Amino acid sequence: MSDVALKFNAHEAAILRDLTEQMRSLLRESDPDNPVHARLFPDAYENPKDAADYREIIGGDLSVTKLESLERVAEALGSRGGARITLTPDDADAWIRTLTDMRLAIGTRLDVTAETMDEEPDPDDPRFEPLQIMHWLGWLQESILDRMVP
Amino acid sequence: MPQPTIAPDIERESNVKEVVEADRPWLVIVWDDPINLMSYVTHVFQKLFGYSREKAHRLMLDVHFKGKAVVSSGPREKAEMDCFRLHGYGLWATMSKSE
Repeated sequence: MSDVALKFNAHEAAILRDLTEQMRSLLRESDPDNPVHARLFPDAYENPKDAADYREIIGGDLSVTKLESLERVAEALGSRGGARITLTPDDADAWIRTLTDMRLAIGTRLDVTAETMDEEPDPDDPRFEPLQIMHWLGWLQESILDRMVP
Repeated sequence: MPQPTIAPDIERESNVKEVVEADRPWLVIVWDDPINLMSYVTHVFQKLFGYSREKAHRLMLDVHFKGKAVVSSGPREKAEMDCFRLHGYGLWATMSKSE
């Protein structure tokens, strides 16, 4: 694939920076009672004992992997203003993973269903703004995917 | 040398059962979720397992319409690694022993 060029205005970049900060604290905590955490770090086994063993051995590595992708995104965004970013194939991989984690975190917190996702967000819905952000992140992810070869 | 055969036979049979148990492969299952995009899920199947676009697309449709799909299988260690890689891409994957 060729490099992917992204351009964010100051408002868009600020949203992404805010999300990277929220994701950083989320990925560093380990709260099994938080449904968002459970979705980002799913049980591999149905059997609780096997699931716990798997988590013990492999779970820590998963947060390291997710944080590495996140930091790559955070670094590219810089600290202020808009951002013009050129993604190498490795960067693009980190971006689509991190955008997924952000969408999973927002969607799980809002408890979205397939119906919610198909509908145009209702401006009177208290979830309007985060739903719009989630859809925008999805659009951004597909724009990057369109230029990637798996 | 009277009655020599019964006990050894039973033991042999139980060994065979154990071997069959150990050889049954583990299945890696991806479950439907309302958040991940179809194009993304297809991309991940191609990227992680080297599947053709057609095969990856078919598996994605199974996940979406049937609620789940078996995306890979093999020994326990391989299945655990596949689960780990799928979780790294945010897909909801579990593993279980094939029936």
